[in-house]
Amino acid sequence: MSARQTLADRQAAFLRSVLDEDAPLPEGWGNSQTAGMSVYRGNYRSALVGALENTFERTARYVGEGPFKKVAAHHAIAHPPSGWTIEEAGSGFDATCAQLFANNPEVAELAWLEWAMLQVSNAPETQPFGASEFGPATAEFRDEDWMGLQIEFQPRASSREVRANLSALWIALEEDASADRPDPLLEMAKGCIVSREGELPTFQIVTTGTARAFDAMQSGASYGEAIMLLAGGDPDAEAIQQAAVQAGAMLGEWLNEGLIVGVKA
Amino acid sequence: MQQPSTIAPFDGFGLGLRRTHYEDFLESDVPVDFVEVISENYMIDGGRQLRILDQVREKHPVILHGVSMSIGSAGGLDPDHLAKLKRLERRVDPLWVSDHLCWTRTSAHNSHDLLPMPLTEEALTAVCANIDRAQNELGRAMLFENPSSYLTFPEDELSEWQFLSEMAQRTGCYLLLDVNNIYVSARNHGFSQDEYLAGLPLDRVRQIHLAGHDPATDGRPVIIDTHDRAVVDGVWDLYAKATAMLPQPVATMIERDEDIPPLPELLAELDRARGIASEALVPA
Repeated sequence: MSARQTLADRQAAFLRSVLDEDAPLPEGWGNSQTAGMSVYRGNYRSALVGALENTFERTARYVGEGPFKKVAAHHAIAHPPSGWTIEEAGSGFDATCAQLFANNPEVAELAWLEWAMLQVSNAPETQPFGASEFGPATAEFRDEDWMGLQIEFQPRASSREVRANLSALWIALEEDASADRPDPLLEMAKGCIVSREGELPTFQIVTTGTARAFDAMQSGASYGEAIMLLAGGDPDAEAIQQAAVQAGAMLGEWLNEGLIVGVKA
Repeated sequence: MQQPSTIAPFDGFGLGLRRTHYEDFLESDVPVDFVEVISENYMIDGGRQLRILDQVREKHPVILHGVSMSIGSAGGLDPDHLAKLKRLERRVDPLWVSDHLCWTRTSAHNSHDLLPMPLTEEALTAVCANIDRAQNELGRAMLFENPSSYLTFPEDELSEWQFLSEMAQRTGCYLLLDVNNIYVSARNHGFSQDEYLAGLPLDRVRQIHLAGHDPATDGRPVIIDTHDRAVVDGVWDLYAKATAMLPQPVATMIERDEDIPPLPELLAELDRARGIASEALVPA
């Protein structure tokens, strides 16, 4: 005779059966429990696939309903969620798309963009640190202060290098899945920065250098380090000078676009 | 455990606030006495959804209705969920905060479904401990809803109404009576709806949910609670019976979460609920 099962044991066994259709049903179950379990299994899968369809609307339109449901089901099985918010089911979905649509890199990048837009849309409210604040804050800066300048960006803003023609795809996939499709890939790699304009998420296509500089500074790199990143490996004085000019223009754009919420020397 | 504060009865008729109807609620005077929102959809740090909730709150009382507290989990409550719920509760100052008699997760995974409780003394003890913790953390009594369920457990020791009654008595919580869930579970498990209602502490009921369901088919003997269609006559009949039995007025709302129709269709259903409830108040 088996040892008495605790509530925790029973719940673990129940959830194993929900997640895995091949898992054995708990001891002592009959036909009525088996019929009920099939409903819970169906609910689990449809809830997760539905959540992924909501989060990745454009990705779903791009690949089509059938293929999307297959990828979504694969993702739900491979990465069962653990957090209390069902939106978390979308975490890592771009990587799943990269794996399953290996010949169409634009699919994973589109999924990344939708996930990044969702993350930034629910971010805490912040006030942009505009040019009118930036001027006085840096008025007394010496060269070394500029080189050590660190920037605080909008919370949950993100960036990456992209090959997908995201601007055109985003518009084409807004509502009608049958609309004319643009070329899915760019001729050369670009960068993409996702941020919030007011309360709405937005994105912009930038140079790969700008995206790398954004990424580095978001991770704590200084303005001086960003200049060296833009200058490339083993730069001469002229390249550093050009990178400094480029960084100044980039900083001005970030200020104007409200991407910056604070600075520290 | 110290009993939480009381919740005064609220006599009104409301709807769930869903994205499809945001503009209706922001731009017109929707004739409802309250709105109910899914708590977890607003347990976020900022953005448009929270701004809209703030604006709707200026017009209507709000009820926070959760789906992820998992008061039946043997492993206890998720502190992050509870902290974010408390933050939302402070922001909204709701009529009350509710969730379900169910469990949704173990320490490893979350099903994002309202899974059924074994109706045992051990489960009752776990549920009551979790409710005590939630009510203490929030500083207020909560409502818990009877779930719809698709299986019962061989080890069950109590009926669902006995479980709910004990739960309310031990924790001081209140009940959200989902009439459709009683209808669904009664047919799935073969218990008597009348016995269910008669066995509940009806003075603890503060709210009623009404919703549609997917009926059983030849290939599927189980009725499924789907919230994707109109309330059926059998559920309206049970609602009439329940309102006639309740010793105090309660808040009634129509729940629709899928295939959400234009607002007038839901308001028409709500008018039907108003009519039934007003008849229940007429002396025989």
